[in-house]
Amino acid sequence: MQWLYNLHPDSHNDAPSTFEASADLRPPLSAGLSKQGPFVTIKNHDRLSSVEVIQDNFEKRGYICNQQIATAVFLAYHLEKPILIEGPPGVGKTELAKTAAEMLDLPCIRLQCYEGLDESKAIYEWKYGKQLLYTQVLKKTLGEILEGAKGLTDSVAKLHEFGDVFFSEDFLEPRPLLKALKAEESCVLLIDEVDKSDHEFESLLLELLSDYQVSIPEIGTIVANPDRKPLVFLTSNNTREISDALKRRCLHLYIPFPDATLESRIVHARVPDVPERLRTQLVTFIQELREMDLKKVPAISETIDWARTLILLHTESLDSELVRQTLNVILKFQEDIEAVEAEIQNVTNKALKQ
Amino acid sequence: MDRTLVDFVKVLRTAEISVSPAETLDAMQALDIVGYEDRQFLKNSLSIVLSKTPEEKEAFDSCFDRYFSFNKFKPEESEQESTDDQFDDGEFDQDAKGQGQPGGKGSDQASGQGGGAEAGEDEEDQSLQPTSELGKLLLSGDRTELSIAMAEAGKKAEVNQIVVFTQKGLYTRKIMDAMGLKELQDEISELQAEGGRERHNLAAKLKKARDRLREQVRDYVEKQFFLHADESGKQLREELLKKVKLSNLEKRNFKDVQEVVFKMAKKLISIHSKRRKTYKRGQLDVRKTLRYNMQYDGMFFDIKWKASKVDRPKVICICDVSGSVSNYSRFLLMFLYSLAEILPKVRSFAFSSDLGEVTRLFDNSNLEDAMAKTMRDYGNGSTDYGQMLMDFKHQCMDDVNNKTTIIILGDSRNNYGDAKSEILREMYDKSKRVIWLNPEPKMSWTVGDAEMKKYAPSCHQVEVCNSLTHLERVVSNLLRYAY
Repeated sequence: MQWLYNLHPDSHNDAPSTFEASADLRPPLSAGLSKQGPFVTIKNHDRLSSVEVIQDNFEKRGYICNQQIATAVFLAYHLEKPILIEGPPGVGKTELAKTAAEMLDLPCIRLQCYEGLDESKAIYEWKYGKQLLYTQVLKKTLGEILEGAKGLTDSVAKLHEFGDVFFSEDFLEPRPLLKALKAEESCVLLIDEVDKSDHEFESLLLELLSDYQVSIPEIGTIVANPDRKPLVFLTSNNTREISDALKRRCLHLYIPFPDATLESRIVHARVPDVPERLRTQLVTFIQELREMDLKKVPAISETIDWARTLILLHTESLDSELVRQTLNVILKFQEDIEAVEAEIQNVTNKALKQ
Repeated sequence: MDRTLVDFVKVLRTAEISVSPAETLDAMQALDIVGYEDRQFLKNSLSIVLSKTPEEKEAFDSCFDRYFSFNKFKPEESEQESTDDQFDDGEFDQDAKGQGQPGGKGSDQASGQGGGAEAGEDEEDQSLQPTSELGKLLLSGDRTELSIAMAEAGKKAEVNQIVVFTQKGLYTRKIMDAMGLKELQDEISELQAEGGRERHNLAAKLKKARDRLREQVRDYVEKQFFLHADESGKQLREELLKKVKLSNLEKRNFKDVQEVVFKMAKKLISIHSKRRKTYKRGQLDVRKTLRYNMQYDGMFFDIKWKASKVDRPKVICICDVSGSVSNYSRFLLMFLYSLAEILPKVRSFAFSSDLGEVTRLFDNSNLEDAMAKTMRDYGNGSTDYGQMLMDFKHQCMDDVNNKTTIIILGDSRNNYGDAKSEILREMYDKSKRVIWLNPEPKMSWTVGDAEMKKYAPSCHQVEVCNSLTHLERVVSNLLRYAY
């Protein structure tokens, strides 16, 4: 029967178990990387070998990025540091993390921050229901365990022999941050809109961000596999100042609005059906709008939405009437729309000249 | 190589980019990975590691460009004609004018004279070589070598320690010495003494090269000065401004002061905006309480409340704007309005005899205008504190409650009028705090028509306040007590 046990992963035999075998399945280190970078061996790490490679790989997945962004991803991986991404809304901060996950073929674990978010939502929670249920069910067993014990001290001593069964990992409900640390083959962890959370939560993140570990009082410290630390992205919309302590632990990437060429490439990647002439026109139009004094200037996502809208309407070229009708796609405030309406003719002409 | 980076970090710090030692270490790691080969790549990488706000990134860019700029050496003698043009419209315009132009003319004449000899010069060069190190280097025309030598000498002379403008000459001299000026000088005088056309020619050539070198070194020192000292000079000035008596400030300093105030205010905001207090009473949050207490077997052990409220102070600020005090009022108001983020409820009043509310004025227009208008409307007339207190009672007393902090800024010089300190007493009883700021030193508080003796017992706090540092302390205390 010995050989049968061997197949079972939980067997505590001296014979080579499946555990050891799995160690050999790790992807081999590429020679070039082992020389310069840390020994991180996450899946598809060769796609992170240089800035150009990253740019190419992102582009293949429809995310056009400039050198800065690619450099940030490159450094985040090689320095094993989280990236804090800031910038106006809609420039692709969240998208960057998602694309990175897709590129590396890793799961993307996302934690959306909001006011009042606390550790029971972000790190872990005990499965209270399960704990209660089990204690009820096990009441009988308790009698058996305590059999023969005399006096309170004796009983308590006997109970102690069984340890903290109810506060073991079986009763632990992992939340995103813990999940990310325990991920088998690393992952991309996206902590979205960290500026929306409270200061307390920010402090909570510090341990995770600097040491890739979290401490759970009842169990101890859980550390990420040092070879497969998660790639962490934090995004912020700058609604409030992020604390220096947090900033210090992160690389900092600021994504501004793209210039016309880059934006045109992005539109091309996202909405390939747009003819080139229209693309230049609409990008110029949007760029002009960003110069104006608006409550909320259109972001890249709005440009893409607009491009899609224009395709649906079978547009060949911009004209002021069309712009007027579709203005609500790119501007989200009535006062902005009113402000721009007066200028439409002007701006459209400028865009057409391009 | 680490030295270079550490130096660079120092430069960044003088440009008000706060770089912690840990970040410096990160930058070194990044440097190991990135290397020095690709300039743009290096810049992006360091920018990502070291600068953490858009403003810092901007400052970083300019620092990087200046620090890692390659000191281009101007081309050597043989390319003189083409360089002369560059000289004039180049960036070294002013420096070049002093020496470059006469030098240039001289060389024109020289080449005019020796028109035929020009061709022969090369042969002479071979027969007669300079012996000193610097001389060889100068005539070899290797500009890169020369730049490196200059940078090395700069390091030796510790040019990055330069603090004030007047030290430029000193450092130029030091660098020249470190590069071996003395040997070159000796050689030149030797050559001249020995006579002979060839030797004279060589001496003249060396001389010219030396002069140009000096110019370049001066240029280099200037750049270093801007890099290392300009910003720290500014810091020094700002430190001084904080301590100087506000009434002594001149109009031209106002802009600087404004900057300093904004900076101080920002600091206060970042310290105080973090303090939040969970209210210990209010509405019970049933769901939260149930969830939290499940672990105690459903016993309500740890009770959660619905509101976690940030208590913001309500500030009423009464400023004397008569001539002697108006400067202080100006900066106090500047402070309070810079704190709008954490002090959303500031009501301000100005008076010299009659009290008037200026809250809206300060909300709507910039400080200069608002102050000017306030002065126009309320600035004239003799100070009458009694009248002010009466007016306050009519206008504003209903709005005072136990959350209000009242700040009065004035010298309490009442022109021997009725002090009406009983009204102040009423304010004292109704409000949370009454703070009196007096720009005069404590000694003169009871001298002449000053009524501080009567007013002080009805204040929670009485302070001398005549510099920005004082103001900052007061405002900081205000915020602390407010919670």
